[in-house]
Amino acid sequence: MADSKSKKSKFEKAPIIEPGHTYGSITDKISSIVLTKKIRKSWLIGFSFSFMLLMVFLGSTGYLLMKGTGIWGLNVPVSWGFAIINFVWWIGIGHAGTLISAILLLLRQDWRTSINRFAEAMTLFAVAAAGMFPLLHMGRPWLFYWLMPYPNTMALWPQFRSPLVWDVFAVSTYALVSLLFWYVGLVPDFATLRDRAKNRTAQIIYGTLAMGWRGSAVHWHRYETAYLLLAGLATPLVISVHTVVSFDFAMGITPGWHATIFPPYFVAGAVYAGFAMVLTLSIPLRKVYGLEDFITMRHLKNMAKVMLATGLIVAYGYMIEAFTAWYSGAEYEEYMILNRMTGPYKHLYWALILCNVIAPQFIWISKVQNSVIGLFIVAMFVNVGMWLERFVIVVTSLHRDFLPSSWDMYSGTIWDWATYIGTMGLFLTLLFVFIRLVPAISIFEMRTLVTDSEKES
Amino acid sequence: MENLESIKPQINKIQNTALIVGLVGIVATVFGALSAREQFFQSYILGYLFWIGLPVGSLAIMALHHMVSGGWGFVIQRILEASSRTLPLMVLLFIPILFGMEELFLWARPDVVAVDELLQHKEPYLNIPFFTVRAAIAFGVWGLLIFLITSWSKKQDNDSDGRYTGRIVRLAGPTFLIYIITMTFMSFDWAMSLDPHWFSTIYGFVFVIGQAVLTLSFAIVLVNKFGKFKPISDYIAKKHTHDLGNLLLAFLSLWAYMNASQFLIVWSGNLPEEIPWYIHRMNGGWGSLIVIVLTFHFIVPFALLLMRRNKRNVNILSKIAYVVILVRFFDLLWLIAPNFHEHGFHFHWLDVAVPVGMGGLWVATFAWLVKGRELMPLNDPRLEEVFSHE
Repeated sequence: MADSKSKKSKFEKAPIIEPGHTYGSITDKISSIVLTKKIRKSWLIGFSFSFMLLMVFLGSTGYLLMKGTGIWGLNVPVSWGFAIINFVWWIGIGHAGTLISAILLLLRQDWRTSINRFAEAMTLFAVAAAGMFPLLHMGRPWLFYWLMPYPNTMALWPQFRSPLVWDVFAVSTYALVSLLFWYVGLVPDFATLRDRAKNRTAQIIYGTLAMGWRGSAVHWHRYETAYLLLAGLATPLVISVHTVVSFDFAMGITPGWHATIFPPYFVAGAVYAGFAMVLTLSIPLRKVYGLEDFITMRHLKNMAKVMLATGLIVAYGYMIEAFTAWYSGAEYEEYMILNRMTGPYKHLYWALILCNVIAPQFIWISKVQNSVIGLFIVAMFVNVGMWLERFVIVVTSLHRDFLPSSWDMYSGTIWDWATYIGTMGLFLTLLFVFIRLVPAISIFEMRTLVTDSEKES
Repeated sequence: MENLESIKPQINKIQNTALIVGLVGIVATVFGALSAREQFFQSYILGYLFWIGLPVGSLAIMALHHMVSGGWGFVIQRILEASSRTLPLMVLLFIPILFGMEELFLWARPDVVAVDELLQHKEPYLNIPFFTVRAAIAFGVWGLLIFLITSWSKKQDNDSDGRYTGRIVRLAGPTFLIYIITMTFMSFDWAMSLDPHWFSTIYGFVFVIGQAVLTLSFAIVLVNKFGKFKPISDYIAKKHTHDLGNLLLAFLSLWAYMNASQFLIVWSGNLPEEIPWYIHRMNGGWGSLIVIVLTFHFIVPFALLLMRRNKRNVNILSKIAYVVILVRFFDLLWLIAPNFHEHGFHFHWLDVAVPVGMGGLWVATFAWLVKGRELMPLNDPRLEEVFSHE
């Protein structure tokens, strides 16, 4: 008997919720973050800092609206600069949320439970931040609705053969379904908050949001069906969004953009960046709010493994791109990759290889896998690396085009940077508001884990 | 091995039939090789690319199974192991290709290379010695991985401690990675370089996912056959076939995704160095073929596999898998044959004879290997957890 126990222990999975928790303790712990009157000092500091950055965003946007996109570093060969880089970076970050909440649900990975709410919120805010860039880049953002096909007296109609138009549909559908998915998942928890709130205003607000949820068997049945259907819908959507984003580049014939590997490689890159961001945010969150029992080492390890796997696909993309550039024998393709590796932006290219290819390999080492700090450092490398990747793809493919006389260099101006950092403010501010007003971990789904963990012990 | 007694006559029957089919096929093939040498090699590479997908694809799905260790994987584990252990046969069958290099590959003809600048540029990669070395490396690496995983799996049967399983699990991730990289380059070598001017960065993925579809369909067909007997019948449950069906659905969708991506990008770019590949494959009958392939390799099975009922009934699932296996062959035909017949649809009796003959040999070898070991893994420490909830 002892023998079989030791045999089992090696393959037994680490808990996804630390033992000793009951329904009550979970509800108390998670809902107290929202329902306590006192504002934590750490929250206030974080929120103030984020809000400051948000003001930077508003300031730079205001100046942009006054002056036009000329304040950015765009020039003629590089007519897509920070705007598209940041758009792709933010959209990519959003992908982990849907992946965790939808795909892992369909794959019956129960460890997703404690991180899905938080990751979905991250998706929404990242998409919001991403959406700013194409809008602001339009020059006259107040006419953004011209992107939609609607009957109008100007006889204006979008060019449906352009992937940029597909983007409008892909991203707006994705944002809508993500919002629905997030909200549907929140309804039972809003009801919990409604029941536990002492304050009349909170009761009314949470009560309205709970939409009359009473927790009857019929409610739960409908809830489960709706949630599963939304998960099924969200899964192809999450893949389609970054596929369409990759089409923005690959549909054209610019060397460095026109590559058939782009769709899967972009999707993998998006998930990669997204998981890095979930790690970056959840590691401090669990520390500050003492949620180590719910977001356990196993969560961090699994996320790191997904990050490693998608990182390897991205590395495969780099390798195949370089090999095919030579193999194709196409003069411009070859020059493009040579220019990336040895041209004026070579430092960024090699920094990107360091961040995206070399840094995640440390996850193979179990010591790094088991160290919170180690994972945090790797995740930070990936966050930077994925931004560099988009910079390298966008700028090095454009800045030396077919005609050497029109070659130019590109760098972001202070306004580019201010807008970029400003969207981080937007993202973080929304995130802090979310943590304060909505349970950051799904209370009712965590409760179901209690019975599971009791069964196991 | 007493577990195998009831199923052994079945496997013997498969083995004998396959052997007869194989021998007839070989006789026809030899006749074809003597009468139509060029066509023989064209049909040979087609058959080879089809059947190599099984041992190598089995290695990949085995690795996937050990990474996630679900119940669906344990019921097909021994089928995949036996399938992967047929690799030596496929190495042997590779040798004739080396005798047909000039017939198959433009880049292997010195007179063509002498007047083609692009092929001269590619010569450091596309030359016969390096081609052979690359194939040897790939076979060596696959052989080593297959040997390690399957022999550890066998040792685990007689060992109460889980150490061999531990080793397999540790090797699974790297195995998957190595498979994708090696298979990418082999697909470039064996299939993409048949049109040496053309290139596509997604080609490796297109090939890899095709092999995954083929292997999984094969495993589904066999788990239906073997699942009626002990020992698999003791384990297999509706939820496993459901999972296998979902996995097939995912693979078929990925196949469509990769192909659609490649097509859209090449079509939209419309560049002279890329588009001819599709022009050849969309005209003169090849276009109709791909419509049929798309219908039965994606649209129909996709619709059927969305329905829960079809996935929970292993008989229906296995019928779908049969169709997919058949259409997989036509997908390869569409990929390979237009390289030699760019002006119109072309189908020679050798395109059937060679793959069928090769398949007879392969299936006979597989049947012989599969009955040599237990059909369900024993003593794997994960088994208890996976099968205890039923």
